[in-house]
Amino acid sequence: MAYPYPAVSEPIVEICGVDFAYGQRLVLKHISMTVAGGTTVGVIGPNGAGKTTLVNLLLGLLTPTRGTVRICGMPPNAAVRRGDVVGSLPQTPRMPKGFPISVRQLVRLGLIGKLGLLGKETAADLKHVDWLLKKVGIEELADVPIGSLSGGELQRVYIARALAAQPHVLFLDEPTTGIDRAGQDQFIQFLGDLKQSLALTVILVSHDLRTVAAVCDRLACLNVTLHYHDVPGNMPRELAREMFGVDLPELRMEKSTR
Amino acid sequence: MMVQAAAILGHFSASSVALRAALASASVGVAGAVLSVFVVLRRWAYLGDGIAHAGFGGIGTAVLLSIAFPALNNGPAIYLIATVFSLATALAVASISRKRAVSGDAAIGIFVAATLAWGFIAFAIHAHLGRGGPGGWEDYLLGSVNGMSSAAAALAAAMSAGIVLTVVALRRQIVLYCFDPVLAQVTGVPVGFVHYLLILLVALVIIVGMRLAGNLLVPALLVLPGAAGLRVSRSMRVVMAVAIIASVAATLAGMAVARHWEFIAPGPAIVGVLFLEFLAAHFAGGRAKSQQD
Repeated sequence: MAYPYPAVSEPIVEICGVDFAYGQRLVLKHISMTVAGGTTVGVIGPNGAGKTTLVNLLLGLLTPTRGTVRICGMPPNAAVRRGDVVGSLPQTPRMPKGFPISVRQLVRLGLIGKLGLLGKETAADLKHVDWLLKKVGIEELADVPIGSLSGGELQRVYIARALAAQPHVLFLDEPTTGIDRAGQDQFIQFLGDLKQSLALTVILVSHDLRTVAAVCDRLACLNVTLHYHDVPGNMPRELAREMFGVDLPELRMEKSTR
Repeated sequence: MMVQAAAILGHFSASSVALRAALASASVGVAGAVLSVFVVLRRWAYLGDGIAHAGFGGIGTAVLLSIAFPALNNGPAIYLIATVFSLATALAVASISRKRAVSGDAAIGIFVAATLAWGFIAFAIHAHLGRGGPGGWEDYLLGSVNGMSSAAAALAAAMSAGIVLTVVALRRQIVLYCFDPVLAQVTGVPVGFVHYLLILLVALVIIVGMRLAGNLLVPALLVLPGAAGLRVSRSMRVVMAVAIIASVAATLAGMAVARHWEFIAPGPAIVGVLFLEFLAAHFAGGRAKSQQD
């Protein structure tokens, strides 16, 4: 089930000279980056580097103090409102214990932006949801109330939800935080599969270098400004050591073990 | 023969008053129940209180206006002014809580205090000018079954139908908004619209229900049925069904109690029945869960 879009190498995300400040405090400065269709970009950086702020700018939850963000040529608000351009995974998926909603119902709610206020799901939409539930391995939990899931299961539900409307691009904010190493490996495997079968463009924001190195085609090092944006192999050793206190060969090794 | 006819007519008109009261109660009960599920899930239990107390400030405003314009000193005019005041307060609370300059909780607290204070000041001024209490205002605080006109009953039924239809049409957006407003926004839901719409629907139920259960007690209609439904099930359909049945049963039973024992106002009677239903749901839900475990 491949998506009809986008042509590889067409720019999906364009960030142009973006500054963002909370009051007087500048948290992002002169950020410019273009993400081509079909690529997976890992945005890495230490705590407080502005990673989540960047995701919020991409989702239209925040507005840049200066500069522009375009997603498929549209401002983020417009892209998000279309419902089938952007899919996203929040940093901490909410699980209100007593909320009367099943896994399948929550995943189907991922379609409502695309459907508009009074639209109804088509048979193809519902089939796609069932396919996603199978793909992320939570098919047998489809009718279970959301409140009874484990953290790892909940994350899969949220990923399926993000992909329900068949978006062009997927934003993942710290998807492996709070998941054990085995769970992280599963996630790496599973994201690799999804990318292949859906020809997705992915922006993965994380401080977990291992996951980023394992799934991303390109790296962007963020610490208020963008220090680097290229393929992982070209990243200068000193930068990696300076930002994360690790040696780059470690990253290459992780990549080659896949 | 004449006496018999008069007795039959009298009985007929009494029962049609009862019928109108029952229709209005059931309507408010259904609309309140449907919204109560979302009010509880969105943690807006206190919101109903805030808007209803604004009605008290509205009655105070009407009372003061009636000094200047004696034509306003009648039931429908007071009701209309209280309605406008409640809607304006609901919009103000919605706007302040939406901008997050003040949390929703604090916004409601601020408006409850301010509108209550304003209501009391207005009543005090009215009394000080030697005009006594305005006619029938306690009916607005505690509810009344008397003098419900067929127009008022029809209005209650129409508003209830409108509220239920709106919620059914926009159920997906409302559910996701109550689940997580930010998630709803990044899914493409127009969350500002849904936010204002829900608060206005809540205000409408309060305005219609105010005449029936009273200003001080109508917020209970917007909390207890949903709370009871959510105790017994994790399926939205079942939760809604339980909430609606509990609410309609309580409003009808409460009205019957108030008609039978005239010294009891309908508001407290309805809330009393709702509370008993909630207790039953609470223990039934607890037992069902421990059996599952």
